[in-house]
Amino acid sequence: MTSLYIHIPFCKKKCNYCDFVSYSGKEHLMDEYVNALMHEFESLLSTFDFQLSTIYFGGGTPTLLSPKHFEKILNLPSAFHSLLSTLEISIEANPGTADKAKLKELKKLGINRISIGAQSFNDKHLKTLGRIHNSKDIFRIYDDARSVGLKNINLDLIFALPDQTLNQWKRDLHTAISLEPKHLSAYNLQIEKGTVFHSQKLNLPSEETELKMYEYTIETLTQAGFKHYEISNFARPGFKCQHNINYWKNGNYIGIGAGAHSHVNGKRWSNPSTIEEYLNDAGRKTHDDSHDATDQRETLFMGLRLLEGLPHDNFQGFEKDLAELIESGLLTKENSHIKLTRRGLYLANQVFEKFV
Amino acid sequence: MISRIRNFSIIAHIDHGKSTLADRLLEFTHTVDKREMREQILDTMELERERGITIKAQAIRMSYKDYILNLIDTPGHVDFSYEVSRSLAACEGALLLVDATQGIEAQTLANAHLAKQNNLVIIPVINKIDLPAAEPERIAEELKNAFGIKEEEIILASAKEGIGVPEILEAIINRIPLPQGKADVPLQALIFDSHYDPFRGVIAYIRIMNGEITPGIKIHLMGTKGSFEVQEVGTLRLGLRPKERLSVGEVGYMIAGIKEVKECRVGDTVTDAKHPAKKALPGYKPIKPMVFCGFYPLAGEDYENLKDAIAKLQLNDAALFFEPESSAALGYGLRCGFLGLLHLEIVQERLEREFNLKIIATAPNVVYKVNLKKEESIFIDNPTRMPKLTEIESIEEPYLRLTIFTPAEHVGAVMDLTTEKRGNFINMEYLDPKRVMMTFEIPLSEIISEYHDQLKSVTRGYASMDYEVMGYRKSDLVKMDILLNQEPVDALSTIVHRDYAHPRGKRLVEKLKEAIPRHQFVIPVQASIGSKVIARENISAIKKNVLQKCYGGDVTRKRKLLEKQKAGKKRMKRVGKVDVPQEAFLAVLRLGK
Repeated sequence: MTSLYIHIPFCKKKCNYCDFVSYSGKEHLMDEYVNALMHEFESLLSTFDFQLSTIYFGGGTPTLLSPKHFEKILNLPSAFHSLLSTLEISIEANPGTADKAKLKELKKLGINRISIGAQSFNDKHLKTLGRIHNSKDIFRIYDDARSVGLKNINLDLIFALPDQTLNQWKRDLHTAISLEPKHLSAYNLQIEKGTVFHSQKLNLPSEETELKMYEYTIETLTQAGFKHYEISNFARPGFKCQHNINYWKNGNYIGIGAGAHSHVNGKRWSNPSTIEEYLNDAGRKTHDDSHDATDQRETLFMGLRLLEGLPHDNFQGFEKDLAELIESGLLTKENSHIKLTRRGLYLANQVFEKFV
Repeated sequence: MISRIRNFSIIAHIDHGKSTLADRLLEFTHTVDKREMREQILDTMELERERGITIKAQAIRMSYKDYILNLIDTPGHVDFSYEVSRSLAACEGALLLVDATQGIEAQTLANAHLAKQNNLVIIPVINKIDLPAAEPERIAEELKNAFGIKEEEIILASAKEGIGVPEILEAIINRIPLPQGKADVPLQALIFDSHYDPFRGVIAYIRIMNGEITPGIKIHLMGTKGSFEVQEVGTLRLGLRPKERLSVGEVGYMIAGIKEVKECRVGDTVTDAKHPAKKALPGYKPIKPMVFCGFYPLAGEDYENLKDAIAKLQLNDAALFFEPESSAALGYGLRCGFLGLLHLEIVQERLEREFNLKIIATAPNVVYKVNLKKEESIFIDNPTRMPKLTEIESIEEPYLRLTIFTPAEHVGAVMDLTTEKRGNFINMEYLDPKRVMMTFEIPLSEIISEYHDQLKSVTRGYASMDYEVMGYRKSDLVKMDILLNQEPVDALSTIVHRDYAHPRGKRLVEKLKEAIPRHQFVIPVQASIGSKVIARENISAIKKNVLQKCYGGDVTRKRKLLEKQKAGKKRMKRVGKVDVPQEAFLAVLRLGK
């Protein structure tokens, strides 16, 4: 299985917590950028022989591109007969950047999964985060997506926001559930270097509150019929995100666009991370210091993110660490699979560090 | 011949310009030409240059007019006062160097006393008179009050500018007596230092007090009882200059197939094995380390490397003591003994710098004398070996006579600091209206924590201190243990005075709480005396540590983050189930105000 990730680094405005490869005020480079994407994809097709089973448009804000752009891009794989029939094609959509007409076009082009960057339903918190939309915009884009026939809808939420109380998060979560999405991602806010938040003095919830928010999320979504299948991800039966599962299973994927990462048969590389560098020199790849040993480790610490865990056989050479982690109650063995316990979920980094 | 020899040293407080004056004397006598000259030429160790102190004694022979002048450079720190006294014993005179802006300081006084005990002629020199803040009249007054020095004896100089150097050389020739001693009697040579050369073995620096020494003779070391055959003797210029013989009054070196400096102790007497002297020269003392601590490799597999490294340092450092020890908490390590805290710091720094070892040093302690109920006394150099409370009759600890020189306005602060450290005030003398000499009696254990730094800080850097060991005294001491996660950590045990146990225990557990990172479980940190807990803190458990999002397949970034997290833990020592960083072991040291 091979996945294709397409990075769209344009944003109307960069959010205060965001340290992804994204830039505002560069929309004039879009046409050129899309051409470069196609160029990069063509040259990859001539190097590798693969068939794609998922495509994912991530950002930035992919929905800033016009349907024409998507048409160009999506025609390419089919032109090369590299598409499998059971294809998941996802797009990240920001409220306030896609109207019904655009969504309709996207649906027509074959996009069958939409991930809506809601983040919160509290307008005050949305403002703190630096989002360009309010809660009404979320409801609107959600209804529009439904009405154009998109069934596989995800909502992205963030908890542990500045000044957020446990009750406020509960409200966000219940609002999200009431929309009946097929998939929910709930991320704990992290303050990354280089972001606006990093330079601010924020009133963040305590570790105890964060933990309560996370516990509540798991309990509530599980009761509501969602399967908790990855640390931050929940899905209705049959609606797990195939594209992301491929990352967690350390599968093969090709990333195109500025700052995109690829992993093919144990090798990792990435693209230049500014739009200008990417446009001038799309062929320049930075190879990471990956080899067989790191690949095994990556398989372990990525795979353990999935709640189903990993087959016991994968842990060869880590028997001692494994025994210690099982003894300390962070991992457990079930039907020849090793997986995180509930406590292990909360302390996953303490587990993962053993496998790097 | 002997009438043309003058042996002298320079005694001074740190930074009063000793090394600069030595440089000038070497230049002026053309011992070192301009091409070879560099600053602090006699301080050969990198550390000596950096810290501006002399650790090893050095000697160098100069020619001036028809005279041979042997300058014996002494170590400049109280830790090495025995070595200083032996270097002085090899001389007939000393330049007493005092900074014209500072005046007499603690080491000036201590070294001047040592010189007097050795019956040396003292030539007082007031240095740095070129500085705008120089007060030569006031300093002259101090010299008069402290040592009875007459004004006409004093030479005003600036070693930096070369002022007064000819006068100093003239005074060395005219005022310092020629060496006493006889040529036609059995050999007596004083070893005043030695160093280890990887190719030639030990090179001993000697002063011939009587007789002569020639290559080929069998010698006997009267203190350590060793016997060797002399291979080479000679004089000391910047390098070694072999000679046919060294005769009475001369200063030079001897190579005799000696393999370790500990076989060739400072203060020992060299004599001719065939015609031995009746008596050894006075003043020899076997070295007794005063301060002990444990060195443990951060990585257990470095233990052998640590042992090899210390053994290498010991080749050139007879005062360094070590033996293997093991700690339940820290694993295998070495118990090391030192002359003082500076000596300890130097050894630790050299291990890290020259041998690239990462070590954990436990808090230093003194040697306690424990009188047991069964009428027997033992010496304890490691708190973990302290017998049970029930077996102890009493405990004695080494006491010092501490001398402090301070500007008068800081007398109150010095008094508060020193009495808080269990010091007994003895005496106070005004050297002049502005400067005071204070004397205390104080346990050595109080000096080896942070006393010196604190003294500097309460006097804005103006006070200086020196001490001499007085002997053992009874104190009401108890062993304070630290328990991490209910398990005692032997390496954190300390001996404290009973009256100070509560506040120190409280402070220590607070510091440990700060230093030790949170774990997946709550860690109680307790201080206890016997089975009684006197202080307690809890390190709360880490409840959540999880990276939430994967950035578009950037697994490498994630791996690097995890690697960083893991590397942080590698710099810690695992004690039971708890990862303890080096700062925690240092916390014991930092219990002062």
